[in-house]
Amino acid sequence: MSKKEKEQILVRYGSSRKEREDFLKAMISPEGKAEVLDDVIVLDVSYANMSGDIASSIFAEFGAEVIKIEPPEGDPSRKIAPHGVNRNGVGVPFIMEARNKRYFTLDLRDESSREEFKKLAAKAHVVIETYKPGQMDSWGIGYRQLSQINPGLVYIAISPYGQYGKKAQEFINVPDSDIVSQAASGAAANIGDMEHMGEPYNWPLKAGVWLGWYINGVIAAQGGAVARYYASATGEGQMVDVASGDAYASLVGYPVTMGFTWDRARPRIGRHDFAIYPYGFWPCKDGMVAIAAGRDHDFRGLLKILKIWKEEDDWRYIFDRIPDIVEQVEKLYKMIADETNKYTSDELVKMAIDYSIKSAKSKWRGGGVPIVMKVQKPATTMQNPHWAKRKSFTEFDDPQLGKFVLPANFIKMSDSPPRVKWVSCGIGQDNTYIRDKYLK
Amino acid sequence: MEDYFNYTKNLFDPTKVQEKPEVFKGLRVLDFTHVIYGPTAAKVLGQYGAEVIKFELPWVGDLWRFGVLWGSFWRHSSVCFHFVQYGKYFFSLNLKLPKAKEIILKMAENADVVVENFAAGTTDAWGIGYSQLSKANPGIIYLSCATYGQYGPMRFFPGWDLLAQAASGVISLTGYPDTDKYYKLPDYVGDFLPGNIGALAVIMALNQRKKTGKGQYIDLAQTEALMRIIPNFTYHSITGEDLGRSGNTDPAMAPSGIFKTCDGKFVAVAAVTDDQYKAICEAMGHPELVNKYKDTFERLKPENAKELYDATAKWVGASSAENLVELAKKHGFSFAVVEDDYDITNDEWRRERGSVIVYTDDMYGKLLIPGPSAMLSKTPGRIKWLSRPLGYHNRYILKKILGYSEEEIKQLEKERVVGNWDDRPGIKPPVYYDIEKDPIFNYKGE
Repeated sequence: MSKKEKEQILVRYGSSRKEREDFLKAMISPEGKAEVLDDVIVLDVSYANMSGDIASSIFAEFGAEVIKIEPPEGDPSRKIAPHGVNRNGVGVPFIMEARNKRYFTLDLRDESSREEFKKLAAKAHVVIETYKPGQMDSWGIGYRQLSQINPGLVYIAISPYGQYGKKAQEFINVPDSDIVSQAASGAAANIGDMEHMGEPYNWPLKAGVWLGWYINGVIAAQGGAVARYYASATGEGQMVDVASGDAYASLVGYPVTMGFTWDRARPRIGRHDFAIYPYGFWPCKDGMVAIAAGRDHDFRGLLKILKIWKEEDDWRYIFDRIPDIVEQVEKLYKMIADETNKYTSDELVKMAIDYSIKSAKSKWRGGGVPIVMKVQKPATTMQNPHWAKRKSFTEFDDPQLGKFVLPANFIKMSDSPPRVKWVSCGIGQDNTYIRDKYLK
Repeated sequence: MEDYFNYTKNLFDPTKVQEKPEVFKGLRVLDFTHVIYGPTAAKVLGQYGAEVIKFELPWVGDLWRFGVLWGSFWRHSSVCFHFVQYGKYFFSLNLKLPKAKEIILKMAENADVVVENFAAGTTDAWGIGYSQLSKANPGIIYLSCATYGQYGPMRFFPGWDLLAQAASGVISLTGYPDTDKYYKLPDYVGDFLPGNIGALAVIMALNQRKKTGKGQYIDLAQTEALMRIIPNFTYHSITGEDLGRSGNTDPAMAPSGIFKTCDGKFVAVAAVTDDQYKAICEAMGHPELVNKYKDTFERLKPENAKELYDATAKWVGASSAENLVELAKKHGFSFAVVEDDYDITNDEWRRERGSVIVYTDDMYGKLLIPGPSAMLSKTPGRIKWLSRPLGYHNRYILKKILGYSEEEIKQLEKERVVGNWDDRPGIKPPVYYDIEKDPIFNYKGE
């Protein structure tokens, strides 16, 4: 081993490289490890709202027995399908969230089914629902009633404006969707191009990912896990209320504080960033590269690797670079683009890494870490050997759904990691199993 | 039976939050994180009652203390730092010195959770990694937050939210198809969402520890967390094609989109179900469309979805936002007016709900901050104070938790093991605030 290699290893691992590497490698596969929620039963009655399916998927990945309860015709979420693409009548998002679940049919509109639901709820630990506020309650199976028969029950409700307050009441008939959640919670208003780019580019824009519904799902699972922790300590369950109209604003916080401290809305700034520059992406010979070199010393490093050090004087401090003056920032954007266009993405990534290694070793430590990463499309992300090594994607094969790939295994834990054991979602496919196990 | 909304109003009453129990009371979190991703995970635990001790370098501080939008500080502090770091104890300690390491190892003996977001392997090299701390305390839950994770060929690559968005492919999904007009997700959501997933993982590990008494190590890659939330991989594996960008419409629902009204406002409309589709057709006065596209999947085919998008755009373009709100309530389809920062700050319902909190802080005064994302009826999340200047809680922690005397602390200060701020905004107290009279900063001990 060369002296250089030894040095790097010591810097990274202290003295126990092999031990740590083996330990981390053993964490990649969840097989044979404990499941944290293996004693937990979750009833998911979410309807036409995938926030609930996402939350129950997370519980299922952590080992809970999740029973998705649908009417005989199936949850309409099954038909939420980008461009109508489906397998056997099931859209891609529903397949993606059909992780380790049991499917049971019960028509909650029907009273005898509600009695069966009550029997299940008496044995369950978590209920997830997305009906309009008060609907379950009026059916006699809301938190108020179920907590009487099962005081330890954690009851998660997801709705556009929550379970209490005037707006929840006023908009009771207006259902939830991802795009509406993004619009109501401040995401759409902060995405989109600058005013002078013209319509429709300067309009509020929907994020290309389900920002609303996935935030709801993660937050519902998080709140539910907190409530489970309390319930297992005290025997007391509680209600967890997630409002879709809050999703983005309460997660990232900026819309709330900026609206107050600036006393006006932020304008849309397209590709730029309010706090740091450069922090965006630039064209290169073979596509785009993301560049983050916000701190002054990172920026100096970027100027050096792009060989435009002569510009340093004009853009020395972060406050020279932040995009508050549009002409200025476009000038800076172009200055960087002119240089990045001369290289391929791989060259730029290598230039940045080589520079950063050199600068980290310098005793002055002032050289900065300009970061460059190739902008990927999901299809190219899947080919990255890094994710193969981490087993981030798993292929599944189901008789009804065929073959497909899921991003699975998304948290690595040494003792009780989440995992995807099967993906399958026939309507009522587990009716007998559920009846035999819980309703006899 | 009591009216449902009366019942829930009492159940969740925001004025009673401070009287209710805290789930994680008595748990101690050592927070070696910076910027947003790691700190968010620790913040969530603090929200539910854990004692979060945030470590920073004296005279340097967390980089995000200077992360201000358009260069403007608020009362000599960064507002973002306030809502990412609220309710924590601010302890500044120079890790390079052996005495500081001793302090950390001592604290780790009765800590419950450690969170860090340095480059992979850095804390191990410093002697405060999982391999070292778990020997002293097998119950410890250790969350490492890195952009690419702790294992794999890219583990040493540095990264922020932007790079995770780029590496996962998320960055290429927001914008207009067939153009180069696409945008990153704003507001560092690539930090906030993975940070919350980190908190979720720790909470699951705490649940597990209840059963086994053992802690564990968690390797969370920010990029993998973002990969978990997109269906594009699955879509690609089924069709062999990229789902790509879709501008202002959701390709999974038709019609759906963000449209401009005749009074210049923007609204989002979507038909999640067949019933909602019917409701929209009726509201826009085109009942014939209901029968034209009876089959959901047929409706979602790009050319048909386009027809419905155009019809909706025409209808919305001829109506006022106010009128559309009434129609949505009457017919029952998914709908909202686009709200910007100012609207959100001034929304009555968010304040009533407690998702926007008007908080009056002893040091900084009035600030609007986001409340907890999920409302729990018995053990709600809460805020205890905003962020504090660098090293504000040094005396409090050293005396109360570690039992140091004033003389010993003076010695530590002399050796520069602990320290505070210089004159830069972001790390110092606001100028109007008399720090010499502050009882916590000058904590005398019991």
